[in-house]
Amino acid sequence: MRALAALVLALPLALPLAAQAGGEGSGGGAGAIRAVPAVPVSAMAVVPGGSYTPLYSPEAGAVTVGSFRMDRHPVTRADFARFVADNERWRRGAVPAVFADQGYLADWRRDLEPGGEPAAPVTHVSWFAARAYCAWAGKRLPTVDEWEFAARADETRTDGLADPAHKARILQLTMRRPGAGTPVGSVFRNRYGIHDMHGLVWEWVRDFNTVTAADDSRGGDRKDAQLYCAAGADGATDREDYAAFLRYAFRSTLKGRSTSGVLGFRCAADVP
Amino acid sequence: MTMMVGVPLRTAWLPAVLLTALTGCSAADAGQGTPADDPTAHPAHAAHIAHEAHAPHPHGVADEVVAAGEPADFSIYHAHSVWTDQHGERRPLGSLSGRVQVVGMVYLSCAYACPRMVLDMKRIEDELSHRADVGFVLVSIDPERDSPARLAEYAAGAGLDPDRWTLLHGDDGDILELAALLGIQYRRMANGEFIHSNLLTVLDADGQVVFRQMGLGANPAATLGVVRSITG
Repeated sequence: MRALAALVLALPLALPLAAQAGGEGSGGGAGAIRAVPAVPVSAMAVVPGGSYTPLYSPEAGAVTVGSFRMDRHPVTRADFARFVADNERWRRGAVPAVFADQGYLADWRRDLEPGGEPAAPVTHVSWFAARAYCAWAGKRLPTVDEWEFAARADETRTDGLADPAHKARILQLTMRRPGAGTPVGSVFRNRYGIHDMHGLVWEWVRDFNTVTAADDSRGGDRKDAQLYCAAGADGATDREDYAAFLRYAFRSTLKGRSTSGVLGFRCAADVP
Repeated sequence: MTMMVGVPLRTAWLPAVLLTALTGCSAADAGQGTPADDPTAHPAHAAHIAHEAHAPHPHGVADEVVAAGEPADFSIYHAHSVWTDQHGERRPLGSLSGRVQVVGMVYLSCAYACPRMVLDMKRIEDELSHRADVGFVLVSIDPERDSPARLAEYAAGAGLDPDRWTLLHGDDGDILELAALLGIQYRRMANGEFIHSNLLTVLDADGQVVFRQMGLGANPAATLGVVRSITG
């Protein structure tokens, strides 16, 4: 697996994509980002669109997800080291506090040197930093719907979660995180060719700060709103999907500048 | 590396709690003010996120020496987004610096909460006797419908003084980034309505969040106190 990750890292950047996919923001958003014009195509998998029912949504029913591409692995410490080498303002010690809390890259040996396992997922990164990384790579963060949709697949099926055995396995993977230092590619490769969706690190999504729970208070009075709040998890569409519940709960605790040793990210892009 | 599964378990109640600060276009009143560093402004304090402890420095507490042209460490003007105002002018976010700003994120086709939020802002403006060193900013979360022309029309209709009021149109990514900087949640629904935090943010002249007024129809006394304390 380490060899595979190294191979991905070593791929020449001479495989340009037809289009700069989905870089967003008027000026690269949070700060000047030096654009890297090429994305190694093979580092990303195509996820054909479809629909799924989110665990939490303010609206009932299925959500349609368009086709997109997603990194096969979470962004590694070595990947992120190239980014900070290229973008001084995202180095530890240089990043403005408004974009990252004090835990930012706290486990790195030096500002430009991650140390540890280079093929392990980078963690201790804020949403702003993850977003800047993806813009630098000519990509973007996946939306919560894209991430959750891709995460439903097992090795052979696009919707492995229909199978209670797979659902149990996902929960087990979620509860047994191998910890920092485990190289990417360690957790199963799903039908789309994407690794590590469960059981390696939690991952940032583009719209972590959108409302994911239902709002029954519309048209109601204050009492109704309080009743809803008291109802807690009753808005969940699949009470058996406990791993998804954990993900939604975790995301809801985050601010854009939050960092954590168990939180990393991967990038996505539109289909060319 | 210890396991962190206990974190989500302990924080599992948070999705519901978050809704106390969120409404659709028809919801609860009774707001309250919270200092920006008050954990109730955002319940992330319960998470074992590394080093949440921080507070934007109120003036007079820690006047930092800031390199010329470089915003203070907690300034939202570190974001380099560029917007279009109601006059059709391109405006970097940092062009709001230099005076205290009261910021609300709204969408103009909203029938209930957004007009109330603007009323709350106008009330603050009135109480401050329309002083020139406090500005008011409405940022649209609905860039598709709220074109700069629509913003201008709204500003005129609502009698918003262009010397003090700035209405901003931007792209989706920049709106999302600004919302993250201000701790505002929003979501577009399939029917075109939005759910969003009813939250006013007070920025000091350097762009640091110094106060949040939560809810609609809130008593602005605390907000006014903060604004007066930082404008002198």
